[in-house]
Amino acid sequence: MLRFVVWRLVMIVPVLAVVLVATFLATYALPGDPVMVMLGDHSSNEEMAARLRAEYGLDRPMWKQFAVYVGGILTGDFGMSYRYVRIPVVEVLQDGLKISPLLALAALGLGASVGTLAGVIAAIRRNTATDTAIILVLVAGLSIPNFAVATFLVYAFAIKLGVLPVAGWGRLDQTVLPVLILTIPSAAYIARLTRTFMLEVLGQDYIRTARAKGLSEPVVILRHALRNIMVPLLTSMGIIFGGLISGTFVVETIFNIPGLGRMAIDSVFARDYPVAMAIVMLFTAFFVLINLLVDVAYAIIDPRIRQRMVPA
Amino acid sequence: MNPAAAAPAQGLDWRRLTRRLARQRNVVIGGTIVAFVVAVALLAPLLTPHSPEETDLFNTWAVPGSPNLLGTDKLGRDILSRLIAGAQTSLLVAGAVLAITLAVGTTLGMLAGYVGGRTDSVLMRIVDIMLAFPEVVIAILVASVMGTGTLTVVVSLALVWWPGITRLTRSFVLVIREELYIDAAIVAGTSTAMIFWRHLLPNIAAPLLVRASVGVGFIIMAEATLSFLGLGIQEPQASWGGMIRDGLPALRTDPYLALFGSLALGTTIIGFNLLGDGLRDALDPKLQGR
Repeated sequence: MLRFVVWRLVMIVPVLAVVLVATFLATYALPGDPVMVMLGDHSSNEEMAARLRAEYGLDRPMWKQFAVYVGGILTGDFGMSYRYVRIPVVEVLQDGLKISPLLALAALGLGASVGTLAGVIAAIRRNTATDTAIILVLVAGLSIPNFAVATFLVYAFAIKLGVLPVAGWGRLDQTVLPVLILTIPSAAYIARLTRTFMLEVLGQDYIRTARAKGLSEPVVILRHALRNIMVPLLTSMGIIFGGLISGTFVVETIFNIPGLGRMAIDSVFARDYPVAMAIVMLFTAFFVLINLLVDVAYAIIDPRIRQRMVPA
Repeated sequence: MNPAAAAPAQGLDWRRLTRRLARQRNVVIGGTIVAFVVAVALLAPLLTPHSPEETDLFNTWAVPGSPNLLGTDKLGRDILSRLIAGAQTSLLVAGAVLAITLAVGTTLGMLAGYVGGRTDSVLMRIVDIMLAFPEVVIAILVASVMGTGTLTVVVSLALVWWPGITRLTRSFVLVIREELYIDAAIVAGTSTAMIFWRHLLPNIAAPLLVRASVGVGFIIMAEATLSFLGLGIQEPQASWGGMIRDGLPALRTDPYLALFGSLALGTTIIGFNLLGDGLRDALDPKLQGR
């Protein structure tokens, strides 16, 4: 087990190295002078330009900039924003850090419960009208991009019925549509997997045994069937989180929510690369961490995985 | 001995496959939608009632009717014409991404699977690293370096897509590598390049193409998402994601642009996914009905 965890941790290093180099190159090594962007109308002021260049460390040789960049990140310092001159990136990100994880967690909780329930129902009622209806909703939920779904939902609930706000952030009713739209793809994905795994498990001998010894159907489903599909469901968490990350970008853009996703997009347009790259790094590190946890959890449950994933 | 004759036809029985496909309702529905969208994209210049990029500032946000069947956008451009041009954009991007990733992924996958050893481990580690990045994050990185635009979309999606194709190819090759006809080719003195071209490629091409086509719906979705976020296809070129982006702020007063755009995009991806799922089921009957 220890060998597996160590190997899995070692595998993270090249990923993080690639992120560091890529974000550094995108921020500091691109043509164009960020100081000129920062100065705007004062771009002819040589003295100010020189001072800013020194403060941002842009006058140092590239290898030294890279060393400072890596050293800073290791101590939680992501440098200073280009757009909000001399404001640390960490400060710019602060509000977004409170919003995006909240959105994603709410969507994950809702998606997991609704998705599992729908999947179990579809599997139990296999090949009935209920099953077909659920499958139709699943296909739609997985296929229609969330901003297209948002168009229909905002039009129906916010504009035609007027029961929910069109956009904004801060009140409870403003969270309903964003969370709902973020939930749909993950719920559909989980439901589809649950249905598939359930159908397989329900055909197993131990289910027949459980029924034969007179257990009630809910006990058979909950204690014998559902428990056994938790493992394969768990392994799909990485994909679900990947979807949630792109989802937050879209939902925050639609509803004008000041989270990390919208901030990243805005920063790219404003050429505020330190902020954009810090978000790139945060999301990648988060994604890597989730996948690590999933793999370790999987290895704890299924010893064969430990053997398979570590090269001899 | 003719080396091509040495490779037996393997993998797909097209007649049985077609029969099985025609029985599936999903494949018929999906196939019809896909055929319609592809036909529209191919015939786009003939079908557009107006120029998709011609503005008319005296006719902005027109409601559906005559002469603009589905209305106009904020610059007075014909929505129907832009939807048709948008179909072309979607399929062109998807086609480009598929072509690039198939070329790169098949080559590297064959190398990894056939040569094995250190080549294999290095390539597979690179694949693992690439798969560790969330796809929007790759797009943000690419957009920071290259700016926004069509090329950015194609490059980002190609970066996201090639590791999967490489892995898939490798898994096919690992099976075929053990076949007797490969040994025969080696003994007969066939060069490695020739073995790739004459023996490996023909035997993995069909299943690989089918599996890859399953992903077209997701590529179209990813392109639309990037264009919607403003990182992808830029004005004045028509793209469904861009149209929805333009239409959403006007949803209260002029909903047609966003609604028709969403409808076209949603239907198209459903079509590709239904067809893709059906193809996969038909190739792998064990998975049927899941």
